[in-house]
Amino acid sequence: MTTITWNDQQPIFRQLKEKVIELIIDGEVSDGEAVPSVRQVAADYQINPLTVSKAYQELVDESILEKRRGLGMFVTESAREHLIESEKKHFLEVEWPKILERIERLGMNLQSLVNNNTSTGEDK
Amino acid sequence: MSTLIEAKGLSKSYGSHQALKSVDFKVERGRIVGLVGPNGAGKTTILKAILGLTSYEGDLTVLGMNPERQRHQIMQKVSFIADVAVLPGWLKVANALEFVTEVHPNFNLERAKYFLGKTNISMDAKVKQLSKGMVAQLHLALVMSIEAELLVLDEPTLGLDILYRKEFYNQLLTEFFDEGRSILVTTHQIEEIENLLTDLIFIRDGKIVLDATMDEVTNDYIEVMVSKDNIAQAEALNPVMSRDVFGRKVYLFQGVSREQLEVLGELHSPSVADLFVAKMKEGK
Repeated sequence: MTTITWNDQQPIFRQLKEKVIELIIDGEVSDGEAVPSVRQVAADYQINPLTVSKAYQELVDESILEKRRGLGMFVTESAREHLIESEKKHFLEVEWPKILERIERLGMNLQSLVNNNTSTGEDK
Repeated sequence: MSTLIEAKGLSKSYGSHQALKSVDFKVERGRIVGLVGPNGAGKTTILKAILGLTSYEGDLTVLGMNPERQRHQIMQKVSFIADVAVLPGWLKVANALEFVTEVHPNFNLERAKYFLGKTNISMDAKVKQLSKGMVAQLHLALVMSIEAELLVLDEPTLGLDILYRKEFYNQLLTEFFDEGRSILVTTHQIEEIENLLTDLIFIRDGKIVLDATMDEVTNDYIEVMVSKDNIAQAEALNPVMSRDVFGRKVYLFQGVSREQLEVLGELHSPSVADLFVAKMKEGK
């Protein structure tokens, strides 16, 4: 895994959880692949093993990871598909309305923004 | 037995100076506890009492035993690394291993050899030929090879460079720590280990001023950066401390709900270092 800079607005276990989700969505960690042990992650990031366990446990509860007895923790078979679905949903329901609101507040026009981006990326 | 250390009314005086003023605390199994305080606050006195190196008043149990009377039994299950290098310079690495094998019933020689095999330390080297970082590695290899239930670290990484410091805690996490053991650590480099800790104890002038799990700390203490318009509202909620940052005020609150604070500005968890400064200034 790549390095993480922790922010102080969210508990670390949640940030770690988000990081794992990100890695799965980006395809860096594939469905069915093993994830590093709690001990390994704790040592790599110099965080408490309980923090790592907590992040993993939430991912297990959400069926993104599964424990295989004696083998460790694995990404579930359809984890990526499910995650992308739920991220899409989150984007449309939570993030997109905020972006729209900001576009309007700044007096910009959505259509012209889209046109700009798809043509040259230059101004006007 | 899940409590490894329990202190009740633990006190210690040196002449007329009261180093510990009736402190109570517990260390449970499977925890990494940071004991933090300014110089002279009583940290070392607490550690010495736990290790049976000093007399004290009050009640103290370590692994269910009394450190003053049962030091020998306790030390079979307790390891210790201090900030002062205690390995003599003339000692050869191989002799150090032999020595610990003879004096310590729970020392695993093979394990120590395995740890040293991962370093650049040769068995023939004398302690005085090793760099400070290597002496720390040797010390750690010896201590991690003892099947201890409690590891006490007093400024373990003092004077080590960042690579050795990271490696030190890395080793502890991969090779030593598990749910059956606890680590009690004092350090001034608190920002380096704050994410490692499960519990935090602050001590000031011989008294404990904070004793909480890290989860409790995160829930209980919230920092808010407040714009000028909201200052009066923030002050009304009795902040523990305020400081000026970039022309704005940052307030630290204890036990105020997130909902009440969210309207004032962006919420942050204070770093242990910031919390420490706040707790040391409180009431002064």
